[in-house]
Amino acid sequence: MLIIHHYAFIIQLGGFVISFIMGALAYVSPLLLQAQGPLLKRFEPTLINFLMLSFLLFVVGVAGVLSRRNIIIIFMSIELILNAVNLNLIAFSRYLELNKDVLAAKGLAINPLSGPVFTVFIIVVAAAEAAVGLGIVIAMFRNRETVAIDEIDLLKW
Amino acid sequence: MLKLVWLIPVLPLVGFLFNFLLGRRLRLNERAVSIVACGVILGSMLLTLGAFYEYHWSYNPANEDKPYITTNDGFPNSFTWLPGGAAQKSLGNEKGALSNFNIPWSYQIDQLSLVMMFIVTFVGFWIHVFATGYMHKDRGYYRFFSYLNLFMFMMLLLVMGSNFMIMFIGWEGVGLCSYLLIGYYFDREEAGDASKKAFVVNRIGDFGMVLAISGVFATFGTLQFHDIANLSAAYPKEHLWQFGLMSWLALGLFIGATGKSAQIPLYIWLPDAMAGPTPVSALIHAATMVTAGVFMVTRTNFIFQRSVTMMMIVALVGCLTAFIAATIGITQTDIKKVLAYSTVSQLGYMFLGAGVGAFIGAIFHVFTHAFFKALLFLGSGSVIHGMHHEQEMPRMGGLQKYLPTTYKTMLFGWLAICGIIPFAGFFSKDEILWKTFSTSVFGGSKILWFVGFVTAGMTAFYMTRLMGLTFWGEERFRKTHGGGEADEAHAAAHDKDLKPHDAAVASAGDRPHHQPGEHVGAHDATDRLDAHGVGHSHFEPHESPRSMTLPLIVLAAGSLVVGWFGIPHALTGGANINFFERWLEPVIVQVHEPTAIQHAISEQASGAASGEQPQVRLLQRQETHEEPAHEATNPVEYLLMLLSLGIAAGGIYLGRVFYVKRPDLPKVWAAKLRPLYTLSFNKWYWDWLLDVKGVEAGKALNDGLFQVDHEFVDGGVNGAGSVTRFWAKVSGWWDKWIIDLAVNATGWITRAGSFVLRTVQTGFWQNYALLFALGLFVILIYYVYPAISTTIKGFTGK
Amino acid sequence: MQLHGLEAALFYVLAIMTLFMAVFVVTARVAVHSALFLISTLVNVALLFILLRAEFVAGVQILVYVGGVMVLFLFVIMLVQTRAEEESRVRLYTGQTWPAVIIALLLAVSFYFAMNPAQAAFRPPEGPLAVAAAEASERSSAGAGSNISKDTQAVGEQLYRQAALPFEIASLLLLVAMVGAVLLARGTKQEKYYE
Repeated sequence: MLIIHHYAFIIQLGGFVISFIMGALAYVSPLLLQAQGPLLKRFEPTLINFLMLSFLLFVVGVAGVLSRRNIIIIFMSIELILNAVNLNLIAFSRYLELNKDVLAAKGLAINPLSGPVFTVFIIVVAAAEAAVGLGIVIAMFRNRETVAIDEIDLLKW
Repeated sequence: MLKLVWLIPVLPLVGFLFNFLLGRRLRLNERAVSIVACGVILGSMLLTLGAFYEYHWSYNPANEDKPYITTNDGFPNSFTWLPGGAAQKSLGNEKGALSNFNIPWSYQIDQLSLVMMFIVTFVGFWIHVFATGYMHKDRGYYRFFSYLNLFMFMMLLLVMGSNFMIMFIGWEGVGLCSYLLIGYYFDREEAGDASKKAFVVNRIGDFGMVLAISGVFATFGTLQFHDIANLSAAYPKEHLWQFGLMSWLALGLFIGATGKSAQIPLYIWLPDAMAGPTPVSALIHAATMVTAGVFMVTRTNFIFQRSVTMMMIVALVGCLTAFIAATIGITQTDIKKVLAYSTVSQLGYMFLGAGVGAFIGAIFHVFTHAFFKALLFLGSGSVIHGMHHEQEMPRMGGLQKYLPTTYKTMLFGWLAICGIIPFAGFFSKDEILWKTFSTSVFGGSKILWFVGFVTAGMTAFYMTRLMGLTFWGEERFRKTHGGGEADEAHAAAHDKDLKPHDAAVASAGDRPHHQPGEHVGAHDATDRLDAHGVGHSHFEPHESPRSMTLPLIVLAAGSLVVGWFGIPHALTGGANINFFERWLEPVIVQVHEPTAIQHAISEQASGAASGEQPQVRLLQRQETHEEPAHEATNPVEYLLMLLSLGIAAGGIYLGRVFYVKRPDLPKVWAAKLRPLYTLSFNKWYWDWLLDVKGVEAGKALNDGLFQVDHEFVDGGVNGAGSVTRFWAKVSGWWDKWIIDLAVNATGWITRAGSFVLRTVQTGFWQNYALLFALGLFVILIYYVYPAISTTIKGFTGK
Repeated sequence: MQLHGLEAALFYVLAIMTLFMAVFVVTARVAVHSALFLISTLVNVALLFILLRAEFVAGVQILVYVGGVMVLFLFVIMLVQTRAEEESRVRLYTGQTWPAVIIALLLAVSFYFAMNPAQAAFRPPEGPLAVAAAEASERSSAGAGSNISKDTQAVGEQLYRQAALPFEIASLLLLVAMVGAVLLARGTKQEKYYE
């Protein structure tokens, strides 16, 4: 795993580069944005894809919470979970915004802006929670000199 | 004076209480005790005479021979004693059966009770006087006289009571006093055994008595004699071999009489009762207590006369008793025992007379017997006293010159009992024998007469033997070891060379225990053999003091005179001077047949229906006058009289021959008639039969019943117990292994489960979070489940 | 809502990167690496937000989340960092790694199955109304001269008008958290220093 980690940044960087290029291309020729080639047609992402992604993120976060010893890593996994939720919300917000009329015809009328608003609050709360949690971690570390949760078990019988 | 009859029993009771409660505390001297004891009896005697006077001369003529019952006299002559029916009456049930159960305490003064009262008080008084001399210097002097007075009280209750209940109280009371007095020398085993025997045998008789009294009450609803006499008129006479209600009642009463008056089969206590002091023997076992049975039979003659079968049984038993007792008396050597068997024999005569319907004759014999038997007993007491308590006749002999007064008075008694005219015994015994011969109550009485006749001869024989062995002949006491030790007090005095009458020894309980006849004291004191090897007695027999000889004289006079009250008119050439018969006649009811009238009807004038009264009275007066003319003297009576005189004379002659003229003859004849002799000497083995066989049978029965109880009853109980134990075990097993298993299993399962489930609590929060995720997955699956198949189809379909 | 062309390709690129980074976050040995991976995940997610025309939230995410929270994380990691040389011997995972992974996979699979029947519903409608809506969306997504939507404006309006109360509460919450964090993290050493 260590090996991949070393190269992980490269992947990230590469991704950034690709995204940058795509963005530049889109800026240059907006028609590319609307390209509907037969190949892409089949794999064009819809809302479901976003939901799937968010769920996978969520699952990874859960796995991290359940399996890591380091408290801070666990916190970070919790942040992952929250982000997955944020993604879910925003995806739905976009969907609702786009299909407002169709859905209204079926009788469903949800404010599409509630997505981002709620997401903002989630971010706020996540920040607050991270601050407090990490404060606790520091306090615990001062006492026990460890951040492995299975070693912080004074209350355990 | 009749109003004071309540004093007659109360005075002896006062004497008893005084002596018994205060005698020991105040350490009264003998003079005080004897004055109180004899004084109260004297008072009773005088009151009796007064009552007799008043009854005969003022009450009786006015009331046509009715008994004087004191129920209407108020306290203390009469009071309501057991008021019954109060509960019934309060419930308004006047006819309730118990409403008759009203027993007053009252006395019945009639001819019969007056006779008995006179006997008891008169003879009793003189016996008390004798006892003052006999019991001189005895440590328990006060106790003796208190018991004697108690006995007088009880006996007077017996004869004076107006109902069965009071009579029964007296009945039991005299039994108690008999026990107390027989066992007076309580340190002696013989006396204790005899007193217990007397009481127990008496009790057996009382069993029949109680049943009879209960039956009487159930039948008649009342216990008053007078009322029952009237009520019984409604019951017919039960002929021979008919055994109805009256016979059952009479049987119960007779069983009581058998016990009290020492008839077969319950006579065994009387000879043993001679272990008591001689005055006791004289009073209780000669003159008064033993005659209570005869009195009772006469008192209830209205029941007996209605049962011919029972009359026959009574006569038969009486006759047999007389005969057998006489045969035993012939061979006994203890002077008191001879007299005891003589008493039993004479009692047999009385019952014989009662059984053949001669109730008056029986009572007459009671009357005369009291005098001469008391005289004989007191005389023997005097002899024993003079011989320093030697009681065995073979060790006496030739005492007539040492005890002259005793001898002379005993001659009177001897002639009386043999039945020699003009002494008392002749008249009474002869009357009984004549009535036996001529009775019409049941057939076959002539055989009874013959047995009685032979018994009279035997009576004369053994009484002469007694006199011969005691007073005539050689002085055997000089040869044999003298100084009989029946009374340790006298023996001790004798050993210490004290004067006679100085029996100054410690109280009865402290003395060493000796059997009668056992030698007490140093041997050399008494065995002084002379040069010829013949022992000389240490003492000379002496005459008794005045206190003892005076009663003897009085009773001797009585033995001569009292017979003249009942001279049968056969000897008077027509004049009826049989005072006794006339006196007692109203007491005896005449039970008439429905078909024939045997004798003159003289029913007891009762208050049943006043309308009847004048008629009955008239009838009675006529009959009374008719009787002397009607009853012509049967020449057979003269013949029988001569015969009885003859056999009496023959007995006397034989006695003189055997025991005075030729003293070797008894041994010869005893050898010739060895089987009869042994039978007689061993008292017909009756005691042995009862003691050995009866007791053994009782013990065998006891063992048998115990075995039954042990095996079956206890086995059953134990079996039930083991069954219960077995079931308890099963139940316990069930409880332990089944029920508890279920309960424990729950616990075990819970524990086992907890071991497993405990592992969930790791304390490690990530485990809990994993479970959250797991739960989330489960919920998701629940919603996803239906979609799984479509999705797969979709994949495969595509 | 359907993405076309470059947007579709971009989505896939970003999605794969996000997932990879997320996995790296969870599996990193060194805590700092894990934090850095999380930063990159967050940035990717922000890009996805932009793709979904929620620029305001993307900006907030970058500024707050990455710029604030992750910096805080890094500071704390630095503070509680154990000696680096021991890290190779330290046990990273709890005992229940495998159950966790399995559960996670199962969840994912089941979610797929759950979502599948709905996939048809989320496809863009075929009717003319839908086509018109799709074209309108593209037009709006294209924007006139500006490729940025009016998202910020709308969100701001919402925050200050309809969601004003939660906004204020959120600010209070932040205040409380701040105080709490300071209180918790203030060590005895510092106290002694101040006294």
